[in-house]
Amino acid sequence: MVRFFQACADGLLTGALYALIGMGLALIFGVMRIVNFAHGAFLMVGMYATYVLFDYFKINPYVGFLPAGLFCFIFGYIVYVALIRPVRDRSHFMQILMTTGIGLILTDSAQLIFKADYRQTNIDLINRSVHLGPFGANAAEVLSFVIALAFVMGLRSFVVRSRTGQALRAISQNPEVAPLMGINLVRIQSFSFALGIALAGVAGGLLLPRLYLFPGVGEDYTTKAFVMVVLGGMGSVEGAAFGGLVLGLSESLTSLYLGNQWALIIDFVLFLLVLSFKPSGIFGRQRA
Amino acid sequence: MRLKAFFVFAIACLCTLMLPAWGQATTKIGVITSLTGSLAAFGEAHKNGYAIALDEINAKGGVLGKKVELDFYDDQSKPDQAVQGVSKLIDQDQVPILLGSYSSESTKAIVGSVTQRETPLIIPTATADNVMDSKSPWIFRICAGATDYAKATIAFLKANGAPKKMAIVYENTNFGQSNMKAMTAAAREAGIELVAVESYEAKSPDYKAVLQRVKQANPDVIYFCSYLLDATTLMRQAREVDLNPKYYTSAGTGFAAAEFPTEKGAGKNADFTFSVSQWLPDAKWAGSKEFDAEYFKRFNSHPAYHAIQAYSALRVAAAAINNAKSLDPAKIRDAIKNINLTSTPFGPIKFENGQNQHPVLITQVQKEQYRVVFPPDAAEAKPIIPAPAWSKR
Repeated sequence: MVRFFQACADGLLTGALYALIGMGLALIFGVMRIVNFAHGAFLMVGMYATYVLFDYFKINPYVGFLPAGLFCFIFGYIVYVALIRPVRDRSHFMQILMTTGIGLILTDSAQLIFKADYRQTNIDLINRSVHLGPFGANAAEVLSFVIALAFVMGLRSFVVRSRTGQALRAISQNPEVAPLMGINLVRIQSFSFALGIALAGVAGGLLLPRLYLFPGVGEDYTTKAFVMVVLGGMGSVEGAAFGGLVLGLSESLTSLYLGNQWALIIDFVLFLLVLSFKPSGIFGRQRA
Repeated sequence: MRLKAFFVFAIACLCTLMLPAWGQATTKIGVITSLTGSLAAFGEAHKNGYAIALDEINAKGGVLGKKVELDFYDDQSKPDQAVQGVSKLIDQDQVPILLGSYSSESTKAIVGSVTQRETPLIIPTATADNVMDSKSPWIFRICAGATDYAKATIAFLKANGAPKKMAIVYENTNFGQSNMKAMTAAAREAGIELVAVESYEAKSPDYKAVLQRVKQANPDVIYFCSYLLDATTLMRQAREVDLNPKYYTSAGTGFAAAEFPTEKGAGKNADFTFSVSQWLPDAKWAGSKEFDAEYFKRFNSHPAYHAIQAYSALRVAAAAINNAKSLDPAKIRDAIKNINLTSTPFGPIKFENGQNQHPVLITQVQKEQYRVVFPPDAAEAKPIIPAPAWSKR
């Protein structure tokens, strides 16, 4: 039983980071109906930004993820204005091609600049662990979890409470009518795209201490982010956060009971099951 | 007018194509290794080993009266890139012989295309048994293989407490799979029960669930088949899940890398782990210490066996070209077949069916240093068994 709860705890530690990644993707999808196939690549950009701060300026990744997130926000804004806005009203097919292309260019640029080397930060914290009764966890993973959770909560109350958040939700509910109510569509869209990318960047910065860094690191996360968004109900930001936690749990428990090689397979089995039987997400209502 | 321009252009092209054929001041030897990517630490060791051999060879006048030049191709730790390297080095650069690659995965991938191009390949470090499966007459291997690793580990265990239950944890590519298979067979033969056989993907950040499964099976011995970054994470997380077998053993590689017992790798978590090894700086062969000293002088770190295997591969290649008195690949191949180096820093080198017969040592990390503990005639320290529980370290 201890093993079960330990695996659940490990799963949630990873799941909170997944939640952050999924929320970013859901935000972009909800407000723009654009599926961002470059999401994992932006996460990788956030990781490299944090790594560069660590390597050249000796800034601890747990501080460095903030400027890295800001960098991703600005970078996301520029990408929106230069590349996404022109295809905003085109077919989904065009948008998929566009974001996939952006992802490839980002990954290959990273390879060009940083080479294919694997990098690790090896900060002191990664070798410490915290214990609570029979349970133990890596200190760095716990810190990443706490920060990620704070961001998830913060984003949630931002979307629910603030005026901009209300505008976001209005557009997500009805992109035709919302502008008629005086909401500046382009401004809100560019903001939410940038915010979504910033969240991916922050998640990248928080992943860095516990993972290795290489140019292709984001690829898996793009597909995982899809699974989360589908699990939580397309476009629902809270749902995606929930989907992230579910995914973290399922991976950890699958590895414990079936073996590590099954974890990814089960992820996608979940994805297909939800898509075929409950396309509105595990807890979702059918959207208007 | 246009026709004339075309002719000039065509002739210029032809001349460029013919350029390698005449007036070459050096002899090029092709090298494929992993200079970047997840295995870059090992590629670096290769490069350093080759550099030392190269200077030695050129100081003695090179081969066939010409200086040797190494033509490197970086496979980025990916098998498909290694295959591209074969066509770049043989088809374009027309090297008469190839050395490489680093990993079993990449090396297995190039065996076919090298054989097809009828060019000899000397393999310095790929331990998977299946790289020699093709029985290709063009393939020669310096290092001992996975079956030798498994047999040496079992012999060591039998002589030191004869544990009964083993778990194998392996990374899921050619290197790990091959070593897992070799150990499965060797353990069965020795009557050791396999209580868990777990694979993992080397890119994953979290092996805790895998280690939990191993802990549940409660083995006396764990045999790891891992590269460097995963070995580091595995040992850190073994501490976190408080996994305490009597013996941590391993199929070398990550667990035998020069970085592994240092702060750059697993640091203190590496203590008490056993590993197979093919060579150490204080090995008994003449020239070992000199190689170590030269390496330390140049690169400010002590070499692991990967470096000296690369060094030996280049030495063999140069000796073979000199013996063949030709740059014809077929003649070089025949010269490698007949090579018999009785004294090198890596021990005697002689190929039987393409395989150099090389003995395997067992080392243990003691106070962040590799010490040879088996076989007895090579041992310089006593093995510490059992590994102390994490809570008592």
